[in-house]
Amino acid sequence: MVLVRVKALDRKTITQLLVVLIIFSLLPFVLGFNTYYIYLAAQVVLTAIMALAWNIIGGYAGQLDLAATAYLGIGGAISGLLLAFYKITPWIGMPLGALAAIGLAVMVGYPTFRFGIKEVWYALLTASLVVIIQRIFWLIYGSTEIYLPYFEWSWYYLRFGRYEPLYYMLVVMLVFVLWLNIVIKRSKLGYYLAAIREDELAAEALGIDVRRYKLYALMIYAGILGFVGGIYVSLTSIVTYRMFNPWLAIVIAVIGLVGGLGSITGVLTAAVILRSIEEYLRGTLGATIPGLYLLIYGLLIVLVGVLKPEGLGGLIESIRRRFRGGSYG
Amino acid sequence: MVNRILSVRNIVKRFGGLIAVNDVSFDVSEKEILGLIGPNGAGKTTLFNCITGVYKPERGKVFFMGEDITGLPPHKIAKKGIARTWQKIRPFRKISIVDTVTIGALLRYGDVDRAREEAESILEFIGIPKDRFHKLGSEITLIEHKLVDLARALATKPKLLLLDEVAAGLRPHEMLRLAKVLTRIRDELGITLIVVEHVMRFVMNISERIIVMHEGRKISEGRPEEVANDPKVIEAYLGTKLI
Amino acid sequence: MVVEPALVVESLINGVLNGLLYALVALGLALIFGVMDIINFAHGDFVMLGTYFTYIVATALLVDPTLTVFITVPLFFLLGIAIYRAVIQPILGSEPLIQIAVTVGLLMILRNTALAIFHAEPRGVPFTVFNIPLHIGPITIVLSRVVAGVISLALLFTMHLLLTRTTWGITVRATADDREAAQLMGINIRKVYAVTFGLGIALTAIAASLIMTFSRADPYVGLLYGLLSWVIVAMGGLGGVIGVLYSGLILGIIESLGMTLISAGARELFLYLTFLIIIWLRPRGLFARR
Repeated sequence: MVLVRVKALDRKTITQLLVVLIIFSLLPFVLGFNTYYIYLAAQVVLTAIMALAWNIIGGYAGQLDLAATAYLGIGGAISGLLLAFYKITPWIGMPLGALAAIGLAVMVGYPTFRFGIKEVWYALLTASLVVIIQRIFWLIYGSTEIYLPYFEWSWYYLRFGRYEPLYYMLVVMLVFVLWLNIVIKRSKLGYYLAAIREDELAAEALGIDVRRYKLYALMIYAGILGFVGGIYVSLTSIVTYRMFNPWLAIVIAVIGLVGGLGSITGVLTAAVILRSIEEYLRGTLGATIPGLYLLIYGLLIVLVGVLKPEGLGGLIESIRRRFRGGSYG
Repeated sequence: MVNRILSVRNIVKRFGGLIAVNDVSFDVSEKEILGLIGPNGAGKTTLFNCITGVYKPERGKVFFMGEDITGLPPHKIAKKGIARTWQKIRPFRKISIVDTVTIGALLRYGDVDRAREEAESILEFIGIPKDRFHKLGSEITLIEHKLVDLARALATKPKLLLLDEVAAGLRPHEMLRLAKVLTRIRDELGITLIVVEHVMRFVMNISERIIVMHEGRKISEGRPEEVANDPKVIEAYLGTKLI
Repeated sequence: MVVEPALVVESLINGVLNGLLYALVALGLALIFGVMDIINFAHGDFVMLGTYFTYIVATALLVDPTLTVFITVPLFFLLGIAIYRAVIQPILGSEPLIQIAVTVGLLMILRNTALAIFHAEPRGVPFTVFNIPLHIGPITIVLSRVVAGVISLALLFTMHLLLTRTTWGITVRATADDREAAQLMGINIRKVYAVTFGLGIALTAIAASLIMTFSRADPYVGLLYGLLSWVIVAMGGLGGVIGVLYSGLILGIIESLGMTLISAGARELFLYLTFLIIIWLRPRGLFARR
C-alpha cells in the first residue's frame, strides 16, 4: 500500500492539486473578503467535497446512492450536539461523526449488498434511508434548531466570527478528497470498483468479492461525509432536522452524474458551476419561483442522460483524446 | 500417476420442476483437454455454472484438487484456481484491454504496476498486438473479445480453465487461431481445460476426451472418435453424423 | 389501550378500499417495469400531475372528477407516448444508473413545475357527487372511497382480462417475458413499449381522478403515491395484476391498521420502514412468478 501512496504523489498529481489549492485559496481575495460571498464560496466547496465523495460510490462503484445527507447529517448532528450540549471540541466530534456515519453505512450496506440489492432498489432504499433518519431525528428533537455556541475566534471549538477559517478548512479537505479520488482510481480498489460497475458477474468470476468492495466504497464515502458534517454545522451554526435534506442528496448525485461518472475533473467542475448557478438563481429568483433550481437540475440530468451520458467528464475526455491522439487518459 | 484435478459427483440441479442436471459425475485429469458437448438444453451450461459457483446444486459435490468446493461463491472459486470464460461476451466496455486483464491479475498481484506488467505479458502470449492494448472494450472485434476474455481469466493464474462456447460466432481462421492458443495454454502453462462447446469441428479437434450430455444426463464418454460413433450420441443429435 | 372493535373493522374496510386504489396506482408502474425493465422514479408524480389535470378539467367544465377521465386519459396516453419517444427510448440501452437518474430528473421536472405554477396550495375540485358518509351501525365510511375502491377493482379485473385473454395482452406479456424471442416472432418491440408506457401513464390519470373524489391535489403528493407504488411493485414482483392486487390490499390494510392502532403521524415512517424491510427480504417480490 505504501508504494501506491508514493506513486500518487508524483509530479503531475502534485502540480494539479497545487493548482486547485492556489486557485481556491486566492478566491477570498478576489471576492474582497465579503462575508456573504465567502459563505457562498464555502457552500460551493462543500458541495464539491460531497460530490467527490459521492464519486467513489457512484462514479467508481456505480451505485446510485441517494443518501448522502443521511451521512452528512449524522456526522453534523454528532459533532454539533456534542459541542452544543457538552462543549466537546469538534476535533473529537468530527472523527466521531465520521465513525457514526461509517457505522450507519455498514449497518445498512452490509445486508443491502449481501442480498444483492442494486440499481433501482438500491436508489430507492437509499432515498428512503435519508427520510427515515430525518424522521427519527425529528421525532427526537422536533423542529427545534439547536444553536452552536458563539466564539469570536476559536480553533478549539471551530467557531469563528468570520467564515474564512472554515472556508480554508474546507479547501484543505477538498484537496484531500481530490487526492483520495486520484489514489483510489489508480489502486487495486479503484480497478476492482471499475470492474464491479461494468459487470458484477464477470468481476466475481475474476475473484473479486463484489459485496466487500462495494462496502469499502460505501464506507469511504460515508466517512468523508460524516467528517465534513461537523464543518457543515459549524458553517450554518445550527443543528436541525433540515440537515437531512433528501433533495440535497439527490442534487449531489445529479452533480456526480452530470460531471461524468468517475471523472474527477468533471465532477469538480460540475460541482462548482452548478452550485454557483444555483446560488445565483436562488439569490435572484428564489423567492418568486420556489424549486426553480431543482427544476433546472431535473432538466439537466434528463438532457445529459439522453444526449451525453458520459457527462462533462466525457466531454473533457474527448478533447483530451483529440490532443493526445487516442490514448487512454 | 495422473492427478484428478476435478471430481464432479452426482450433481443434481433443479429449476422449479425442471431438472437441468440429473445425477452427473465425471473426473478431469490434470493437464488434459476435456470437451463437454450436447444438444441444446442438455444442461452443459448449468453444470458449468454449478462448478464455477454461479449455481448451488441441490445434490452432489464438486471436488477441486481434493478439496470440496461445492456451493462456494464464484469469487472464492476463482481464488482457489478455477477460471472461466463467457458464452455471451461480457466485456468491460469502458475499460481498456490492458486494464481489463490487469483487473484479473490483481487477484494474485496486490501491486497495480506489477499486475499491469503481468497483464501485458499475458496479452502478448495470447497474441494481441501492443498497439491494441489501450483500446476500450467497446472498440474491439469479436475475436479480440474472446481473446481478452481468455487473457483476463488467465491473469488469475488458474489451474483449471473452463471455456463456455468460446468458438461461437467465429470464422474458421479465427477458430484455428483460438485452438492454437488453447493448446499453448495447456502445453506451456500447464492449465487443464474443459471446453463446453457447440461447434463440433472445433471441440472434436482440440479435445483429448469428450463427455456428452443429453437432457441433463451424461450419455457418453470417451475419445472423440469413439463418441462420434456412439449410437446414443448420434440419436441425441437427431441422426446428424458428427464430423 | 382499549380499542373499539368497531374502529378496527372500520379501519380494515378503509384499508381494503385504500388498498384497491393503491393497486390501481401501482398497476401502471408494474406494467412499465414488467415489460420494459424501466424504473420510472417519476411514477408518483404522474399521479400528482393527473390530480392537477383533473382539477383543471373539473373546475373548467364543472363536472364530477370521475367524468374528467374522458379528457385526461387520452391526454395522458398521448403524453406517455411522447415522453417514451423523447426520453425513454433513447436510454433503453444505457446503464441502469443513467436510466434511474433520468427518471429522477423527470420527477424533479414534474414536481417543481407543479410547484412553480400552483405553489404549495392544495387544490380541490368544486364538488364531487359521492362525498356522502355512509353509516352502517357504528361504522362510518365515505361513499366516495367505496366508489373509488369498486372502480379500482373493476379496472384491475379489466386489465387482468386484457393481459391474459386478448391478443394484444399476450403480445405485451410475450415482450415482457423474452424480448428477443418476441422480436423474432415479428412483434414490433418499440410499438409495444410505446403503447405500454402510454397505458401506464394513462392509468395514473384514472387513479388520479378517483383520488380527487375524496382528496386534494398538491405538489407533494407524488412522493407518497410513488412510494406506495414502489412498495407494491417490490412486494408483488412480477406476479401480474393478481400480485399487484394482493400487495395493494396487504399494504392498504397494514397502513390503515398502523395508523389506527399506533399513530397517524407515523404513517410515512411506517411506510418507509416497511419498504426497507421488503426490499431486504424479497427483492424479487413476495408473489414473484419465478
